[in-house]
Amino acid sequence: MSAVRRNILKNIDVRDQYIKGVKLLKKEASGRTTDEFGIPGAARSVSTYDLFVIWHVTAMMVETPPGNPAQRNSAHRGPVFAPWHRVMLMLFEQNLQRVLEDANFGLPYWDWADDGDLPAQQQSAAAIWRADCMGGEGNPVSTGPFAFHASDPSGFRVRISTNISGELRSVNRGLRRAFGVSTDALPRTAHVAKALALPAYDAPDWDAGTNCFRNCVEGWMNDEGVSETWLHNRVHVWIGGEMLLASSPNDPIFFLNHCNIDRLWESWLGQNGRAYVPDMTAGAALKGHRIDDPISSPLGRSATPRETLDVSGIYEYDALA
Amino acid sequence: METKKLATGAAPRKLGEYLSRTREKTRMHAVHGAGGAQSVREDSYRGHAIEIITTYNILVDGKKIRAPLGVDASGQVHCHSLPNYQTASAVDMVRALVDGFPEEFEQKPARAKSRPPASRKSRPVPARKSRPAAKKGSKHEH
Repeated sequence: MSAVRRNILKNIDVRDQYIKGVKLLKKEASGRTTDEFGIPGAARSVSTYDLFVIWHVTAMMVETPPGNPAQRNSAHRGPVFAPWHRVMLMLFEQNLQRVLEDANFGLPYWDWADDGDLPAQQQSAAAIWRADCMGGEGNPVSTGPFAFHASDPSGFRVRISTNISGELRSVNRGLRRAFGVSTDALPRTAHVAKALALPAYDAPDWDAGTNCFRNCVEGWMNDEGVSETWLHNRVHVWIGGEMLLASSPNDPIFFLNHCNIDRLWESWLGQNGRAYVPDMTAGAALKGHRIDDPISSPLGRSATPRETLDVSGIYEYDALA
Repeated sequence: METKKLATGAAPRKLGEYLSRTREKTRMHAVHGAGGAQSVREDSYRGHAIEIITTYNILVDGKKIRAPLGVDASGQVHCHSLPNYQTASAVDMVRALVDGFPEEFEQKPARAKSRPPASRKSRPVPARKSRPAAKKGSKHEH
């Protein structure tokens, strides 16, 4: 039986379980310490949740291949964007299932286009940001389940972040969000529909300048092929704060955004014969992004883009886009 | 994908081991990007091999910042430290870095001076900025 991933705003039980699971993973010691990941300062315990922060930063810093002019890395700016994040979400979901003792728990998604259809000035007050869901904005965030309380060191805190060089560092502070500072509105339903209508998953030159579904959904260009901050990137930038950095999984909204991105990819796959490019005839310049290349993950060679194209035995969505 | 392998790979011990092993690659990249990131763009045109090597040396308040900026073939500027941005100019990217990493640009409080402040007439003229700061809602070539 596969898990069902549901809209977090339409399922109170799923919402509350997600919040509970995140808090449990945040409190669970992974058995690793910061010095093992080259983080300067006194060695501190790393939580299971924070392993996912480190993983995202690490993937970002591994260029594929080193020095490539498109600045592709092992998870972004190239074809492997969707498969890599699918693997990351599946491993995160497995951990939620473990700590919640519910093998059928499905990671919820945030269908942000519903909020994007609201007038821009109303988007900050949407239901997702209420105190009973993800809480609101602030430095630090002061409402909701992940609010910062200076007098409670065991509360939700950001413990690992990155500096301006992109290097990991230890911190001890509250979550940060600043809605609509760098871009004034979330993507809309019409933007999603146009992205899903793009026939090519990716295409030469396999960089941020190609008019294709992957670039549109990752957010390097709009659906007319013009360079612009779009779907996934636009959500990150609109939320601001933690979500601007390579350590963006620090904000639990990260996983809800990516689950929605994964839902859009699943919708596109269903309409396009589960196609993926490039295949293995592509040259070494695309190593790490080809269909049978191992995805950078603890799964080794068993996780490739091909292996992520049909995950119906593992999870499904309650509704596709 | 096999569910059993997925469960095994998801174990915190397994993920921790993997990340520890991968650390060395990350460290090498960080060194590459430390304050002197270099982008090499190559093209061929009418039988000529074009190679453009770009290195950014960025000062903010007179201090060099160690941000790994790069530029792609279409001229868009990107920085791993702000992975969801792509800007039409390096200036816009540095502005985004100032917003994204406020602690790294905090102005230290000026020391108390032992002598009285200079008269308005004798103060130096502030440096003229190249252009006004971007307004909220302006086109976001990030």
